[in-house]
Amino acid sequence: MPIVVYRLLVLGVTTLAVATPLSLVVYQSFLTAPFFDPSAQLGLLAYSFVFADPDFWQALWTTVTIACGMAAIAVPLGALLAFLMVRTDVPGRHYLEPLILIPIFVSAVVIAFGYVVAIGPVGIFSTLVKDALGFVPWNLYSLLALIVIAGLTHVPHVYLYSAAALRGLSTDLEEAARVSGANPFRVAVSVSLPMILPAILFAGVLVFFLGFELFGLPLVLGDPQDVLVLSTYLYKLTNKLGVPSYQLMAVVVVAIIAITAPLVFMQRLLLRQAQRYVSVRGKGLKTQPLRLHGWRWFAFGAIVFWLFVTVVVPLFGITLRSFVVTWGEGVNLLDVLTLDHYRELTDYPNVVRGILNTLGIGVIGGAVAVACYTAIALAVHRWNSGWTRLVDYLVMVPRAMPGLVAGLALLWVFLFVPFLSPLKSTMVSIWLAYTIVWLAYGMRLVSGTLLQVAPELEEAARIAGANDLRVKRDVTVPLIKYGMLASWLLIFLIFVREYSTGIYLLGPGTEVIGSLLVSLWGTGAVDLVSALSVVNVVMIGVGLAVAVRLGVRLHG
Amino acid sequence: MRHVVSAAFIAIALAWGTGAQAQAPQGYPADYTKIIEAAKKEGKVVIYATTDAVAANPLIKDFETLYPGIKVEYSDLNSTELYNRFIAEAAANNGTADLLWSSAMDLQVKLVADGQAETYASPEIKTLPKWAVWKDAAYGTTYEPIAFVYNKRLVPEGDVPKDHTDLLKLLDTKTDFYKGKITAYDPERSGVGYLFCNEDIKDFPQAWDLFKAMGKAQAKLYTSAGAMMERVTSGEHLIAYGIFGSYALGRSKKDPNLGIILPKDYTMVTSRVAFISKKAKNPNAGKLFLDYILSKRGQDIIANKADLYSLRSDVDGEATIKGVTQLVGDKARPVPIDQTLLENLDQAKRLAFLSKWQQAKKGQ
Repeated sequence: MPIVVYRLLVLGVTTLAVATPLSLVVYQSFLTAPFFDPSAQLGLLAYSFVFADPDFWQALWTTVTIACGMAAIAVPLGALLAFLMVRTDVPGRHYLEPLILIPIFVSAVVIAFGYVVAIGPVGIFSTLVKDALGFVPWNLYSLLALIVIAGLTHVPHVYLYSAAALRGLSTDLEEAARVSGANPFRVAVSVSLPMILPAILFAGVLVFFLGFELFGLPLVLGDPQDVLVLSTYLYKLTNKLGVPSYQLMAVVVVAIIAITAPLVFMQRLLLRQAQRYVSVRGKGLKTQPLRLHGWRWFAFGAIVFWLFVTVVVPLFGITLRSFVVTWGEGVNLLDVLTLDHYRELTDYPNVVRGILNTLGIGVIGGAVAVACYTAIALAVHRWNSGWTRLVDYLVMVPRAMPGLVAGLALLWVFLFVPFLSPLKSTMVSIWLAYTIVWLAYGMRLVSGTLLQVAPELEEAARIAGANDLRVKRDVTVPLIKYGMLASWLLIFLIFVREYSTGIYLLGPGTEVIGSLLVSLWGTGAVDLVSALSVVNVVMIGVGLAVAVRLGVRLHG
Repeated sequence: MRHVVSAAFIAIALAWGTGAQAQAPQGYPADYTKIIEAAKKEGKVVIYATTDAVAANPLIKDFETLYPGIKVEYSDLNSTELYNRFIAEAAANNGTADLLWSSAMDLQVKLVADGQAETYASPEIKTLPKWAVWKDAAYGTTYEPIAFVYNKRLVPEGDVPKDHTDLLKLLDTKTDFYKGKITAYDPERSGVGYLFCNEDIKDFPQAWDLFKAMGKAQAKLYTSAGAMMERVTSGEHLIAYGIFGSYALGRSKKDPNLGIILPKDYTMVTSRVAFISKKAKNPNAGKLFLDYILSKRGQDIIANKADLYSLRSDVDGEATIKGVTQLVGDKARPVPIDQTLLENLDQAKRLAFLSKWQQAKKGQ
């Protein structure tokens, strides 16, 4: 097969996989009824309904507020954290690094359930504080709390990009500032952070964008006080008319995409900018980390406190809930301890299948997904053509669709594309949905590895007479083997964590832990939810431990 | 030799088993065996339901013992997802549920009115209350009283409301104590909540006063009964208004702190509505399952294992029509399964109600 055929084939399949669900959603938004309904007509009725609804604007406003607030918290903290970890002598850096990344890999619904038990109005920590102070100084269900939690859990995203940028920069300028008498804080604010500003900006846009995707946190924490964001507004919308309405949901999705798509492209621009900046990197000598002296332990304490609030508190909460029958004001927890919730897990065939399916989608599905991402990355690798830019944009398109909606769109695709419909109730549908939703992330992982392969080896092979495909198979792929393994681990973690994409595809045979959690939460089986959450966290913990053991860098 | 003997035993057992199964249940028409035979050929029944698998499990297991060879494929979804999925699959016409079983009574009636249901006169019809059968297609399967639920540890005994008027009085007199401590379904975000409010308005002249009092007490509104009960048992809230008695009963068995009240002035009763899909691939197995959950054997499990409350008057136990009657006498108000439910889906009515509700929420 000539390489051109391979390239066009990959390009075609990718375009089809990405464009079909998206165009279906856009098309649906311009109809007056579900697209499969014979009475459906083209029209703007759905748009005028949604845009006339004050709740839509309220939800949009809340979403923007949350996204801004998140960015305002996560960006400075993440950048500062990166500075501390990369440039200073904070104690225990080696052990802190993997811990810092945990919030990225724990499902937001699990974190939210945990917070309710831990610091809800009668949570375990709340009652302790109430005993000491006489009142609880926070309200978990307020918009402010939602912003703070969302902000704190997204610090690692900013940390990743800032740390990577800092590592690429020489420390000459910082040392110069230090010698001239600046204190470490001054060095960070006046020298280091301005140098990596493009990377920080990039992370800021990313966090802002993730704010539009928030689903798990507002679903659980926004419920009691009716804090609606766009993704939870989709639920409320259904009830306004009494009858679920595809076209209205599609309009909200188009509105979300209209906001997130420009953000995605802005990220791209910023990334290019950032790399340009980093081109001044120098291969400096191994340098001494900045000494923080008395601040050393203070900085350490701050990092540990942040970890305590974002990781320990919610995970402790959910774990505790999974071992008790009831909890709250006036309950002695020692009296209500139980292992029943874990025993009950095995009573339900769908839960057992869900656990197995989740492992399967992580291990096998993850491997196949990495193979697909590699196939796409190889197709555009060293291809000087305008098509590569198209692929660049293409893989980012699904990123703009929230997972919940991508799942629904894929359900439609599986329903109405004849040769796909037998696969609807199998894990293949879940796998395809996950693979498409995480296309951009996976591609970044794999292309990152590909970039490390210098062209000389491939050229040598070509001169020795190998054709292009042979070169890829026998030279490029073996060279990136380790990178692919690392990508597989990271995709495993992401697939095991995922919860929103599978909701509409959930059925017998397609259960995964994430969507089961949301569904069980809805029916009120909190006992099962807590035990299943812990199982999920353990899986992710094992994955993380393996990754750390193998020395995988937990980022692209 | 041993193998031969045991093989013979198995053969006999199998022959005896199928022989016994091929008989129609007592009181059923003789040709019912045809449905059983056909259902066995189909080999499975696909069910979409809002009843969580936890509660449905004993029913499924018993059905599979009664009709060996017919596997139940059970999916629990929330009522919106169930509706969305079903109409899409029915339109795509390549396989969907055989039986739909949902607590969203209005959506189920709409699907039947839209012609999505197969007409099937169950042999059990004569044993069911009149309000529970519509057009020989939609069948009520449970008798679930809507209860108040409260925290026994933290609600003073004198405060426990016996009926709607009591609750209204309590909220008016101890507004501060119960500020933020009352919880209910949110009619703006939950179809069930909307249904409950509308039935209240029909049954209780002071309904709007009650809603306003809840607004003044800053009631916290949810979309899931589980979330409400979790927070009542923890003490975050104290009284939950309008909870399915079925969920409350199940939960109170695990957690003795949860108190249940069936209001004495009137107790609304809802029913999970089941129908057989017109697009069913296994219509006979669907019929078999429908008849089974309506039968005495199925209803006995509904009442005594699944805690879903039986609607047959010949079933004994706490969670039955008898049990409810014992507590509230003739004050039970079942929501009839018929076209009046469609009014709930009328857009203009809905928006009018919701704007009035938003006022009440502010206590006005």
